Amino acid sequence: MKYTRSTIYRDFLSLVYTRKIGHIGSCLSVLDILLAIYFHLKKRGDRVLLSKGHAAPALYIVLAANGVLSKQLLATFHANGTTLPMHIPHAFIKNEIPFASGSLGHGLSLSAGMAHANKLQKRKGNIYCIMSDGECNEGQVWEAAAYAAQNALNNLIVFIDVNHIQAFGKTKDVLGEVTAEKWYAFGWNTYECNGHSIKDIVKTTQKIKSSSDKPTVILCDTIKGFNLSFFENTIESHYLPLTEKQYLQGLKKVKSL
Amino acid sequence: MKQPFAAAYISVFAKEKKSVFLTGDLGFMALEEIRSIMKERFINAGVAEQNMISVSAGMAEMGLVPFVYSIAPFITLKTVEQVRNDVGFTQLPVTIVGNGGGYGYGIMGPTHHALEDLALYSSLSYMTSYVPAFDEDIFPQLAIIKNEKKPSYLRLGLAKNHRFSLPKYTAVRHLKKGSGATVFALGPLIHEVLGVQVVDNNLYKKLDIWCVSELPARLPKQALISARKTNRILVIEEHAQIGGLGSHLARQLPHFTHLYAKGYQSKTYGNQQFHLNENGLDTAGIHKSLHNLLK
Repeated sequence: MKYTRSTIYRDFLSLVYTRKIGHIGSCLSVLDILLAIYFHLKKRGDRVLLSKGHAAPALYIVLAANGVLSKQLLATFHANGTTLPMHIPHAFIKNEIPFASGSLGHGLSLSAGMAHANKLQKRKGNIYCIMSDGECNEGQVWEAAAYAAQNALNNLIVFIDVNHIQAFGKTKDVLGEVTAEKWYAFGWNTYECNGHSIKDIVKTTQKIKSSSDKPTVILCDTIKGFNLSFFENTIESHYLPLTEKQYLQGLKKVKSL
Repeated sequence: MKQPFAAAYISVFAKEKKSVFLTGDLGFMALEEIRSIMKERFINAGVAEQNMISVSAGMAEMGLVPFVYSIAPFITLKTVEQVRNDVGFTQLPVTIVGNGGGYGYGIMGPTHHALEDLALYSSLSYMTSYVPAFDEDIFPQLAIIKNEKKPSYLRLGLAKNHRFSLPKYTAVRHLKKGSGATVFALGPLIHEVLGVQVVDNNLYKKLDIWCVSELPARLPKQALISARKTNRILVIEEHAQIGGLGSHLARQLPHFTHLYAKGYQSKTYGNQQFHLNENGLDTAGIHKSLHNLLK
């Protein structure tokens, strides 16, 4: 079956509607970033860590679309006895997703360790880490940011899903927005792009100079609850499941993508 | 024990291509030779322990064999979630080295003491904690760690000189025969037990002494027979009451007197010996407990 952006959005809505689950807003803000990485950027030897583990349903849908996750396994999502819970468990796909994710702030350190190991072993391959902007509240993120810059991990590329809203407030009202200036001050290459344009995400990533000795962060400007007008830019989209009416409305919207 | 640890690490791990050593900005007068041998594989990860644990997990996932070093409370208490989620769930071969177990850092104050570390790791079923009692224990313990390839904790304390020939290293070692009371001591506290000989040789002659150097601890048959026979059992550890040696042995022994670290009862601070004394964990306190037990 050939997947398109539209069919992947459709499958995602069906998955979350039938399971009556939340975290829909956080999944919809990151889905295009995942599509860009898994369908356009990731090459043999590259590894991907989704540090915002609460967006697991979006990851599962993308992995199912590119054949890494079987349809049978995806069908077990969120049911008793599944290996696919609401947050990413460890080693649910061997050599693909090694680490559990759900407690924020670990992913960048893990990615830095993997990138550093590649360098020490003179192995090729980038490590792609996807974080949320709210996740940057965590002190460990900034420990890892300093570590990656100090060790010149230019094989580490971080995408931040900047949807401006976290679990109980706007990012700017909680501990402040994540800005390129902050990352630049830590010694990183910084880029910004439209996080809902796969073309822009890919193009921006391709701008990274191989001669640079710095890690790179790409701030992807996104919309929490993207494509669902009743959910866009709301805290409710972090928690509430879809009603039937909302689901049908969403299906109609993503059909035209 | 940090110098003997460094020597043993150099001998067992440092020259292996897959080995990496991360320190949380500590190791003065101990790790310099490791740094010199390992070059770029020796990493000062800064005063950032949570990051250091997760970085080590990432490195282990990519095939490296990391050791992570800091002062015991800093590397164990601050990083429990990183150890559980990143090292433990995945069962990666990361070794956490904590220097100054128990009251080891003495007058440096309570922030530098580790009285709860073994309890935390006892609750992680995949983790083995190694507590060397003698400098000579570190080499065989590192050899086991190398062979086991799983999450491990090495709790370094302060060993004293001894004048006897040590039996070959095992997790639970029989150091002396006796039929009056059975004594189990964790790691370096064995030196305080051996000190009873100087204070009261007659009482000392009655002791059946066992040195425990790994948790979980499974007592050998001979130790269980001794405990049953004497029916007077003393368990000693430089750790909180729950989660350490006492908790492990409670499942194997019917009843025992337990000497453990009670924190800071006088709300004053001193060197390691001061705290051992206040908690009845020094030779005098152990002698007193044994004297009562043998009445």
